Amino acid sequence: MASNSALESTIDKILKDTEQGILANIKSGLDDSQQNLDAAIPRLESEYDKIISDGKKEADKIEKQITGSSDIEARNKQLMALEEAVDKVFSTALDQIANADRSGDYSNLIKTLIGEATQILGTSEILISTNTKDRDVVQSVLSQFTGAELSSETFDCLGGIMVKSKDGTMTFDNTLDARIERLKPLIRKEIAAKFGVGI
Amino acid sequence: MTVEGGVQYSKIAEIKGPLVVVDDVDNAAFDELVEIETTEGERRLGKVLEVGNGKAIVQVFEGTTGLSISGTSAKFVGKVMEMPVSKEVLGRVFDGLGRPKDGLPDPIADKFVDINGEPMNPEQREYPKDFIQTGVSVIDGLMTLVRGQKLPIFSGSGMSHNLLAAQIARQASVVGKQDDFAVVFAAIGVQYSEAEYFRRSLEESGALKRSVLFLNTADDPAIERIITPRVALTVAEYLAFDLGMHVLVVITDMTNYAEALREISAAREEVPGRKGYPGYLYTDLSTLYERAGKLNGRKGSVTQVPILSMPSDDITHPIPDLTGYITEGQIVVGRDLFRQGVYPPINILSSLSRLMKDGIGEGSTRDDHSEVSNQVYDAYSRSQEVRALAGIVGKAGLTEIDLKYLELGDTFENEFLTQATDENRTIEETLALMWKIVSKLPKNEITKIKDKHVEKYYQEK
Repeated sequence: MASNSALESTIDKILKDTEQGILANIKSGLDDSQQNLDAAIPRLESEYDKIISDGKKEADKIEKQITGSSDIEARNKQLMALEEAVDKVFSTALDQIANADRSGDYSNLIKTLIGEATQILGTSEILISTNTKDRDVVQSVLSQFTGAELSSETFDCLGGIMVKSKDGTMTFDNTLDARIERLKPLIRKEIAAKFGVGI
Repeated sequence: MTVEGGVQYSKIAEIKGPLVVVDDVDNAAFDELVEIETTEGERRLGKVLEVGNGKAIVQVFEGTTGLSISGTSAKFVGKVMEMPVSKEVLGRVFDGLGRPKDGLPDPIADKFVDINGEPMNPEQREYPKDFIQTGVSVIDGLMTLVRGQKLPIFSGSGMSHNLLAAQIARQASVVGKQDDFAVVFAAIGVQYSEAEYFRRSLEESGALKRSVLFLNTADDPAIERIITPRVALTVAEYLAFDLGMHVLVVITDMTNYAEALREISAAREEVPGRKGYPGYLYTDLSTLYERAGKLNGRKGSVTQVPILSMPSDDITHPIPDLTGYITEGQIVVGRDLFRQGVYPPINILSSLSRLMKDGIGEGSTRDDHSEVSNQVYDAYSRSQEVRALAGIVGKAGLTEIDLKYLELGDTFENEFLTQATDENRTIEETLALMWKIVSKLPKNEITKIKDKHVEKYYQEK
């Protein structure tokens, strides 16, 4: 009997030790898991924040791309439409100038153009050429400019004159075409302003 | 702009390189715009370089190839070269002379401005002190750009300066303010593929609508390169001082500009200075760089980031040398880092932003910025020394603290310096990365930062 009780107590002790060992292992496992979990939470939170912030950045980038390119596209179409309208106004105006009446004040304009040309070239020894339409008007005022001659050749232009020094070294383009061309950027601005652009 | 045109002279005495000498000229003015007309009716632009003894020397921007003495005429327009400017130029692409290159019409001008600009009254200048965020950590953190500053990038041939230029142009912004921001980008003598990259890069990122591009490609006449930075700066000045915008001007590559200057100087048979560049190179460069700044009582600013490639990576070459005298610091792109595959390969130890101290700190970036930046500089410098030492004695011969500096150097290059070309980092992210680097060191090695900042931002392991 005595040996049985000793055996039982040994078995109990072993069982108790094993139980304690298992419980300790479970506890330490639980503690480890808890620790890992605790450690993982801030990391996960920061990763979560990073994913959200990266996503937001990416979304902002895509939004900028889409709005940027559509804004540019819309603006470009507007520019093309405006240019078309400005061109139409321009060509209508040029037609009107080309077909303008050459009587009345027009000879005064030609006089001014010749006077300006002689002043800029610094000589009165000049050869004037013009288009067929303005030839008679130029001829009629030529007597007022000593040294000025009218060329027999004509060329195509809206109106006005092309003046050359008689030695052929200097030319001054005082045609209406050249004057309009010089002022074209300003005229375009004025026309665009009528369409409500650039005011 | 006047209705009066100029006189056309048909007596061409000589054509020499990019220059045309016109005879029997009266009343031509220095810098006056000239239209050269060929027998075929082709027109090229130029400007008067010299007048006297009845002669005028004209520099033809588009080159003199194909011009002959007989049949060529020169029309003196009676005004200096002007650039039409208006808000409409934003989102547009122009060539090196300011002519549209995007298939759209000429912009409707608000006004016409002399491309040589008006010199800024020194009395009116305001000291630059407001931060510009480029989104590139190494620049924002260690060599901060401020509004109105001129901060050049010194690079070498084949390196990634153009990628960096495009990234800065795409990402640059004024933080925390609703002020308008614009980028003027001038490419001088770049390859077609690079010009196309700049255009596409801004277009695809949506940044084109706040940008203006001036593209002079390598196959465009070299003489045109003299004009490109000037038209770009003229537009920048208009946007800044007439429209109140903060304008960042990125100019690449200034070396090509200086080469064009040398070409003209040689053609004029001027006495050459160092490496054949004209003696007035310094003065000429300053006429461009000094167009950056802020004016008292005006809202806008012009900030310049000129990029130049140093021939043979030689920082003592006349172009970087003279540039360095005028500008307020420099960002140096390093060949070693580039070879390691680091982007952006900026060598911080040779780089410096002289105005950084006024653009950072509380109210601009963060109160610890200056100190953490000094600490990073110091620590990276020490890590370089340790690397050199390790190359001799091996890692085994290093002390524990040396090993920490070695690790810090790697972290600096791999995590802070290295950045994707489309990665736009905020200043907060940049500062966090700088603290990550500093936190590689034990606290007793941190000597340049106040304790209160260390307590607040030091990242314990």
